[in-house]
Amino acid sequence: MKRVLTSTRNFLLQTKLFWGLAVLYLVGVFSSPINRKGINIFLSPGNQSDVLRQVSNNGIIAVGMTLVILTGGIDLSVGSMMALGSVVCAMLLTQQGWTNASFLAIPVLALVTFFLSAYLVPLIAINAVRGSARPMEKANPSVRWCGIIFGAILAILSVWWTVGQLGTKFGVLGVLVAVPAVGLVFGALNGLFITKGKMQPFIVTLAMMVAILGIARLLGGSNMAVHPVYTGTNATENFDILRALVFQIIPVPGIFFIFAVLVFGFVLKVSTFGRYIYAIGGNEQAARLAGIRVDQLKIAVYAISGMLACTAGVLYTAQYRQGKPDAGAGAELDAIAAVVIGGTNLMGGRGSMIGTLVGVLIFGFLGNILQLRNIDSNTQLVLKGGIILAAVLLQEGQLGVRWKQIRSYFKVIDSGQEAGAKSRQVEEASK
Amino acid sequence: MNRRNFIKATVVAAAASTVFKPFYIRAQSKKYRFGFSQVTTVEPWRVQFNKDMIKEAGKHPELELIITDGQDKTEKQVADVENLIQQGVDILLVSPKESAGLTGVVLKAIDAKIPVIILDRNVETDKYTQFIGGDNVLIGREAGKYAVELLGGAGSAKGNLVELWGGMGTQPAHDRHDGFMESVGKETGIKSLLQPMDCDWKQQKAYEVMSTALKSFDHIDLVYGHNDPEAYGAYLAAKDAGREKEMKILGIDALPDEGVTWVSKGQLTATFLYATPGAEGVRQGLKIVNGETVEKKITLPTLRIDKTNAEQILKENGLA
Repeated sequence: MKRVLTSTRNFLLQTKLFWGLAVLYLVGVFSSPINRKGINIFLSPGNQSDVLRQVSNNGIIAVGMTLVILTGGIDLSVGSMMALGSVVCAMLLTQQGWTNASFLAIPVLALVTFFLSAYLVPLIAINAVRGSARPMEKANPSVRWCGIIFGAILAILSVWWTVGQLGTKFGVLGVLVAVPAVGLVFGALNGLFITKGKMQPFIVTLAMMVAILGIARLLGGSNMAVHPVYTGTNATENFDILRALVFQIIPVPGIFFIFAVLVFGFVLKVSTFGRYIYAIGGNEQAARLAGIRVDQLKIAVYAISGMLACTAGVLYTAQYRQGKPDAGAGAELDAIAAVVIGGTNLMGGRGSMIGTLVGVLIFGFLGNILQLRNIDSNTQLVLKGGIILAAVLLQEGQLGVRWKQIRSYFKVIDSGQEAGAKSRQVEEASK
Repeated sequence: MNRRNFIKATVVAAAASTVFKPFYIRAQSKKYRFGFSQVTTVEPWRVQFNKDMIKEAGKHPELELIITDGQDKTEKQVADVENLIQQGVDILLVSPKESAGLTGVVLKAIDAKIPVIILDRNVETDKYTQFIGGDNVLIGREAGKYAVELLGGAGSAKGNLVELWGGMGTQPAHDRHDGFMESVGKETGIKSLLQPMDCDWKQQKAYEVMSTALKSFDHIDLVYGHNDPEAYGAYLAAKDAGREKEMKILGIDALPDEGVTWVSKGQLTATFLYATPGAEGVRQGLKIVNGETVEKKITLPTLRIDKTNAEQILKENGLA
């Protein structure tokens, strides 16, 4: 019997995050106002769909942030990166010919195509031959050359394809490929500074946050605060697909978010790459000594974070019909908060992607519930801060210990008072 | 009852009251619900906007007004409007942060068959029910006419003019200039002393520009600030130079606790109202729910506020 109890308790402790979300959801259901048709507004499909759309940008950024934080780093540049993505995306969609945005995006896309295929081809070749290769293992020269030639061909093809689009402005596929490539390069730059320059991730990404904001403003031109995108008039109609509702209910940005969670959750769980990320976060020195190429892995992780942030930028442009250099102000903090609520340790090495999904949803549902109840916006801020603190406290996993400490504290006071009372009695008696 | 149980009981009671409070608040339901999505609540003009709206809504007991705060973020404001749509408000009032950013969600509200009133800044569609906003050219024109009157009347006006520009990258600054110049520009006797000087709507910058102007020019007859804080900055500079008596100072906006107060103290000569569309929005919304047809566009009139009516306006706003 006792064993059953302990195992139940352990199960509950392990899944406490989900219970938190479930409790919040129930609060939402019970506190939601009912509309005139007698439908619970919180539960209405329209509202659930809105929440999924509202969290998707933050969610996509948080996925990349989870990887970075798992290695023990932090990426503060993602907000600016998202804004840069939105500006580049809006300019590619609305302006023909060679503009600042296409000058940046086309060479960068070619570069990324070249490096990715020059790296991936040998990797696939080794895997095909030997079954399981470590991702950083060196290929023999012939396979390597194969990859480089293949990469060069693909890069030329990508230039040919994108330059071909310049005459008619970019379409949806063009921006979905080119803009994340920009993020990938800036993210890799973050990683290079951190690993090769041996600098703190906090400082490097803080500097990049400021610099990229400037780049986004320069790119957009100083007399354009906002780049509006109106599909059908100044951009192609097919861009509408990125803000469409599948089956009238599932927002496309939400699908991107869920897809990112699944892909990178899978990568973390099963791939060597994922295992190494945990290893680096757990003990970087040990990982290095064990032969893991820490620097390469870290660069890859920051690059992925940048890529996801710029993808979020494309979705921002789609949802809000504009590209804006200050679109991402504060986005990095929302993403970090969601990751931490999801139980990922800021020191690295501990956490999961599913936790981040839950963290993002908790944040989204909380905002939705408070707004449906029309709670004052300043009170909302206070409550959000409170929820972050409470969630992190729960994540600490030492609640039992803390509780005992508090109890023993009260016991000390109690016994102290009793002792005091007794001694007073003794004193009085002796008089 | 020992202390531990007491603490436990308190915690449970607090938690329960937070969760279940909504149920009994909900009980008082009114006939109409208006939802208003505001951009931010930290700017003086926006604060006045909300005040006007709440005051007008208070006159109609059948009305429940929900105001959301976008915290100056497009994403937040879009989420707010989506929320108001889900709540099924009878009228949606939106004062957009940007035209492009809010267009999509306004269309969503229109699809949900909610009448939409756009306030102050327009969106990129004309399917909304109504637009209410001020007209900066009109306000500039009124200020210009009054300036000519102060300097000697049409045809014979004479004097040195200092114009303090608002943010030069913003449309309102250009509109306020163009309207002003329609009459002032015709008067050959009025001499504009400065090249266009960008004061970015700020009191401090206006103070700096004005101090320099006071050193360069012996006599200044009229100062025109594109908003009240600029005009007040000019007044402070003139006062510090001991020359505030020689000039008339005009401002724009006429917020009760800024421009109107300064006019009533005699620091500014006059200010021109850039009315918030708050009160008018509520009135028009009531017309719509009562089935009346409304105009597609309403331009709010301006009002000159000088020594004669400043006190009265302060009293109406509970400031005097």
